[in-house]
Amino acid sequence: MSRLRVQPARVQIRDLRKQFGTKVALNGVSLVVEPGTFTVLLGPSGSGKTTLLRCLAGIEQPSSGEIIIGDKVVFGPGKFVSPDKRELSMVFQDYALWPHMTVRKNIAFPLATSSLSKVERSQRVGDLLERVGIAHLADRYPNELSGGEQQRVALARALSARVGLILFDEPLSNLDADRRDQLRIEIATLTRDAGVTAVYITHDQSEAFALADRVGVLRLGELVQYTKPEKIYRHPKSAFVARFTGVSGEFAVSHVREVSDKRVEVQLPFAPHMFIEATKSENSSYDKDPHLFVRAAGVTLAPVTSTAGAPGVIRDVAYNGRGYEHVVEVGDKATLTKVYAADRFERGDCVKVMLDPVSCFVMNAQEEV
Amino acid sequence: MARLRRVRWSGMVVWLVLLFLIIIPVCAFVLVAISPRLFRQGTSYFTFSNITAAFQGYTGQGVVDSLLVATLVGVFAVTFATVIAWIVQRTNVYGRRFWSGAMWLLLLVPTWMTTLGWIDVISPGELLSALGVHTLFFFHMFFGASGIVFVLSTAALPFSYFVISVGMRGLGSEFEDAARVHGARRLLTVRTVLPIIAPALLSAFAISFAEAMSDFGVAFTLGSSSHFPIATYTLFNAIYAYPANFPVAAVIAAVLILSTVPPVFLQARVMRGRSYAVLSGRTKAVRRYQFSPLARVGVTLALGIFMFFVLGLPLLGAITSSFTNTASFITTTGVHWTLQSYKDVFAPLPSFTTLGPPLWTSNQLGIWVASGTLVLAYVLARRMASRTPGIGQRITDVFLLGSIAIPGIVLGVGYIFFYDQHFITSHIVDLYETMPLLIMGLIASSVPSQARLLTGPVGQIQSSLSEAARVHGASKWRAFRSTSLPLLSRALVWAWLLTFTKTISELAIAQILYQPGHEPASVVIETYLGTIFNAIGSAATVITLAEMVGVIALVLLIFRLVTPKGWRRIGEAGAPS
Repeated sequence: MSRLRVQPARVQIRDLRKQFGTKVALNGVSLVVEPGTFTVLLGPSGSGKTTLLRCLAGIEQPSSGEIIIGDKVVFGPGKFVSPDKRELSMVFQDYALWPHMTVRKNIAFPLATSSLSKVERSQRVGDLLERVGIAHLADRYPNELSGGEQQRVALARALSARVGLILFDEPLSNLDADRRDQLRIEIATLTRDAGVTAVYITHDQSEAFALADRVGVLRLGELVQYTKPEKIYRHPKSAFVARFTGVSGEFAVSHVREVSDKRVEVQLPFAPHMFIEATKSENSSYDKDPHLFVRAAGVTLAPVTSTAGAPGVIRDVAYNGRGYEHVVEVGDKATLTKVYAADRFERGDCVKVMLDPVSCFVMNAQEEV
Repeated sequence: MARLRRVRWSGMVVWLVLLFLIIIPVCAFVLVAISPRLFRQGTSYFTFSNITAAFQGYTGQGVVDSLLVATLVGVFAVTFATVIAWIVQRTNVYGRRFWSGAMWLLLLVPTWMTTLGWIDVISPGELLSALGVHTLFFFHMFFGASGIVFVLSTAALPFSYFVISVGMRGLGSEFEDAARVHGARRLLTVRTVLPIIAPALLSAFAISFAEAMSDFGVAFTLGSSSHFPIATYTLFNAIYAYPANFPVAAVIAAVLILSTVPPVFLQARVMRGRSYAVLSGRTKAVRRYQFSPLARVGVTLALGIFMFFVLGLPLLGAITSSFTNTASFITTTGVHWTLQSYKDVFAPLPSFTTLGPPLWTSNQLGIWVASGTLVLAYVLARRMASRTPGIGQRITDVFLLGSIAIPGIVLGVGYIFFYDQHFITSHIVDLYETMPLLIMGLIASSVPSQARLLTGPVGQIQSSLSEAARVHGASKWRAFRSTSLPLLSRALVWAWLLTFTKTISELAIAQILYQPGHEPASVVIETYLGTIFNAIGSAATVITLAEMVGVIALVLLIFRLVTPKGWRRIGEAGAPS
């Protein structure tokens, strides 16, 4: 394992801007990726995450700002270092394997300009082939491999150069669900084993939370929130972050009363006689158009006979292997989705819904940083 | 910033080259039509009198004849090509690769060679007469509109065939399945599915029409002696008459360009966003219609007879003619086979030129033109296939489309007109009657079509492949050499070969721009035509054709021997099949 370890790079991005004609793709993005960490940039399409990654790689030239990889300024005023001199590697969304090269040659490509002897190169490629479990495919061509196998080759190629930074451009988006989970674990394991700094982009929040040491949420070319995944889940900075990282339901509320520094009390719109406590966002206010955002993890179902909770009706149920995910109608066209319960409630069953204050937030709906 | 400046500079260099290669010579020449005095070709700075003159009498008839002929050629070529493409691509006919190969051979044979071959076949006393066929009727028919339409249709057939074949290959069987599953019978299925390849059919028509309009070989060999004037020949006549009438020639040139621009642009418009050159990875493998054993033999035979008729017979005519040294294939004492014509090719009568040096000149021209064209066409194809299309790409696209429609004869005449202007020869550069001018003219005629041909294969290469190389430590050159070049190698080799062979057989530009004393083979062969030394011309034709096929075989062999296995596994989209 230690043979694969490299010197991880620190990445600093300062006030990065990128314009395509009149369209602003990146608007003053600043962030620091610490050496050896796994950072995931999360955002919907058009948020600028691909542009940011391509600017890091040197495939796109930013309009202004500064990028420092390790101790080397790779982009700044009057400076642009071409991709081949940035000492990084990348796993592409479409894998970008060269169809005229065998698996072995694809993996060996980044080593061509290294000072390694032929034997050392061959040994390193052999190690990686074993490590990613495709040694038996070494002499095949990319079109003779499945999607998952191709992705393993792309990962091995990225690791072969032993550079300090690996960029991942939505590498799992072309795979089916089973392979995606399996490869996600392999990417996390191999990258951390190598000790390399990783910057990974995706639009899938579950993928982001599963992989990341830190998550950056991008929207319309701006970095909205950049912190640990737990903090993003528990303390979303804005309604956009809350929505994009997954909510079970969102409801307009009218009566909000502050009960402490961190908590507010709101009247449930779908059960007017009920008040619940919710978390007050650190960075967002609730004075204009307050909405209650409910995470799925904070919703519990109970039989209708239960004395506590707001009434609801089960509208749909789906088995997910470990238990059941329910869709619960709690008011006029108001629903809570992905509500987990170990036991199955049937469609049409009346239930009681209980909400955990930690997983409920009150924020302005329109306030989208 | 430095990078951005470099991009702009490279674009400017490309446009500067195109400016002197195509735009200025053609525009200056066409301008003479309405402003002859600007170039000292008349007394008026602005007049429409030349336009009126060009549409009268012999030249006017030439324009009408050309439009009629080109339309008929388009219809015939597309009809036959559709049937053949369906048989070869979508049925279990025997020898599919052979038929595609035959189409390539047909593509390589220039129209003047085909015309010669047919004259050798159907002339009284020639091959068919020797076999007891009364050919006088066909002979008279051949020297007229029907002969011109026939030869041009066979010449346009391969263009249409390749375009329609790609369309049919890309037409997954799921469309047929869907029609059949939903109750369509065989005929309705065909009627349902055929519109899907309508862009390919329209494209084939446009190419065939443009090829027929701009052809000079048939016009020169057949049109001149058949009392059926063709626009390209009347243009040639206007220049070589004494005194030369550049203004009227310019009007005809403008008509030729304008008549070919609409179908080419229409085709491009229909094709927009659904290039027939790009096949989706999701397209399922083609399912072939299975003929019964008897029908399979019958269809193969029919195809064989057809191909023999359009390709084998004229070639056979030229070959048999080359092995006789009399004006007729048979004499009163029978057929006399001899190699005399082949000897005469290299040791001709005093008034004729030996084929050796001209063939060498043609090969040199071929190498220069094919290589120059390849570089420029690749640069243009890269611009066309750009991932971020901008105004520059659209202008390049329109320019290339328009340039494809410029017939070789117009380019040739444009060159002698512009590069012989006093201010050019005395103040800038005197290229008149030099080899570089001929090379420039031939490159100018090849670049637009080759650039558009290469745009397909270049556009098929995902940008991430070269980006991956760059990110993993490759310099720009190494990224090109290790990723783009292997993927394009087959398409590039075929583009080079196509340009090389077309240059050797090219007649219009060569006839107008050749350097005295350094005639290319096509010009020398043409001098034998219509003389009693026709057999020597046939022998020279056979030698030239054999040499072209030999070069193709040699280059493909070298490609096979020197390229890694991986290179040959891919890039087949740019190659013939």
